[in-house]
Amino acid sequence: MKAYKLKKEYLKEYLKSLEDFGEVWGPIKKGEIDVYEKITDYSLLNLNALRPILPLKKFLIPPKFNTFFYTKDGKYENALKEVKRKIVFGVHPCEIHALLTLDRLYKERYPDYYYLTHRKSTWIIALSCVPDDKCFARSLNTHFVEEGFDLGFTDLEDYYLVWVGSSEGDDLLRHRLDLFDEKITSKDLNRYIEWRKWRDNQYQLNLDLTAMPDIMELSYDLEIWNEIGERCLSCGTCSMICPTCTCFNIADHLGIDDEPGRRERFWDSCMLKIFALVAGGHNFREKRVDRVKLWYTHKLKAFITEFGKPACVGCGRCIANCPVNINVAEITKILKGEEVKK
Amino acid sequence: MDKEKKLKIGFYEFSGCAGDLLTIIHNEDYLLKVWNSAEIISFRLATSKRDEKANLDIAFVEGSITAEEQIEELRKIREKSRILIALGTCASFGGLQSMYSHLGDFSSRFNSIYPHKFTILKPIESKPLESYVKVDYFIPGCPIDFKLFLFNFTRLLRNLPVELPSYPVCIECKWQENNCLLLKKIPCLGPLTRAGCQARCPTHNLPCVGCFGPYEDLNLPSWLKTLQENNIPFKELEKKIRMFFGVKVKEILSKLKNKK
Ligand code: SF4
Ligand code: SF4
Repeated sequence: MKAYKLKKEYLKEYLKSLEDFGEVWGPIKKGEIDVYEKITDYSLLNLNALRPILPLKKFLIPPKFNTFFYTKDGKYENALKEVKRKIVFGVHPCEIHALLTLDRLYKERYPDYYYLTHRKSTWIIALSCVPDDKCFARSLNTHFVEEGFDLGFTDLEDYYLVWVGSSEGDDLLRHRLDLFDEKITSKDLNRYIEWRKWRDNQYQLNLDLTAMPDIMELSYDLEIWNEIGERCLSCGTCSMICPTCTCFNIADHLGIDDEPGRRERFWDSCMLKIFALVAGGHNFREKRVDRVKLWYTHKLKAFITEFGKPACVGCGRCIANCPVNINVAEITKILKGEEVKK
Repeated sequence: MDKEKKLKIGFYEFSGCAGDLLTIIHNEDYLLKVWNSAEIISFRLATSKRDEKANLDIAFVEGSITAEEQIEELRKIREKSRILIALGTCASFGGLQSMYSHLGDFSSRFNSIYPHKFTILKPIESKPLESYVKVDYFIPGCPIDFKLFLFNFTRLLRNLPVELPSYPVCIECKWQENNCLLLKKIPCLGPLTRAGCQARCPTHNLPCVGCFGPYEDLNLPSWLKTLQENNIPFKELEKKIRMFFGVKVKEILSKLKNKK
């Protein structure tokens, strides 16, 4: 991987120049939270944002979109022929790990046309981060990335160390090579190494996830699950904001009069009662507690069996967003019999 | 569709603000399409032309029943309609006008507000259509959401059942990328309320008031607990639920009592 330096004062000018490639998106403050938005005013970019409420998946499988149109005479028309290119700046390592997970789900076994189409036109500029009290990526080894981005920025106080992660990234960089410094000295490298050591030690939330699949398995019948089940609002928030939740539902909107019909795809959640209802009326997870168990089993156990690593990337969104404080940190602590605040 | 095959549809209103039917009328881009795709037998807000004798395939009925005379009228509509649909929250659950129905005898409540003799209609406690006739489907909302109406209108035209969002407002709220108000202990009814509104209120930083009626899998005890723990009294929370959940409140609260 090749590296360059970019002085901080050039950042905004550089990002603006990338509009020649497509839309430039990044985290922007919205009240107390951050949201990935298309940037028009670069002074609004929040370089300290940690977890935009909706993660990268909103670009790749939008919450709601049309897949195709159809007419009464039996003709179909693809509703997603192309997507405007988006360059997303400010993406942190854990989110890129989530992105790689989505890639496995949607690109490998059953390549999903809609995912692929969005994915192709979503370019990623990673940005280093300093964790807060809700980040626990280090516990999942997702606090660092070596792939999955086009350009990777590491904040070294007065400049960024910029890694090129793909040929697209190379294009992006060469576009304004005049702003970059090609000379990386050993001093820069040392600074980078020092920074990494320092930063990796900034995690305040550390979860010991050793043997988590076994713990999940063995605690399946614990009474404490029922308490968690009673607390869950079944509001589905966790599935919407989790970067690795990908379930969707489909609805056909029939056309009225001469309008074509359209098929719509929208995010779904296994926390909803109807999710596991099948024809004939049987519901595999009628009870709230069973749905909560499934969610956490999926994040911390089943995914490991299937893909060799947990589905959770430690981004802390569930910690920040669940209104009744059910989240991965809480659940692992509970299952391990540790003290938790009620 | 050829003319003979068009379904015969009627729109009716009882006690309410007419907001649901107005929602249909105000979507001018679609009004003609709605008209073209069915044979509209009655729609008083839109046309004086109507046929009270014709049998109907579908009757959309807005408003709650608040007078004795309306019961008879509703029964007549039911008799002549193959499918009857409660349109809006009043028709579905009783509406705002049934908010205080738990506070003792109706006539004393009524007389305290209208002390003079009332001669036009014989007023009774506000109740949803279902209290008097069989209702095939509900399309709640105060007012209804036009997109949700259209989605179901087109389904009905093709003899498909009505389908409502089977998730609470929170789902749509997250799609709108809002910070949850419950995190700030603001009593938002989002997790208790059926979606369909695009989470309008939370998106404007206002708590959901539940105007689409209860979500079938709501978890009231947990919602109450998290707010009561932050010193919001039960009475205040109960009042919020009563605003739009109408006759459903009794059922929801009784589950709460059973649990205790
Ligand atoms: S489970 Fe929670 S911490 Fe883990 S990836 Fe999902 S939202 Fe982030
Ligand atoms: S603000 Fe209201 S609707 Fe939105 S997630 Fe929170 S409780 Fe649900």
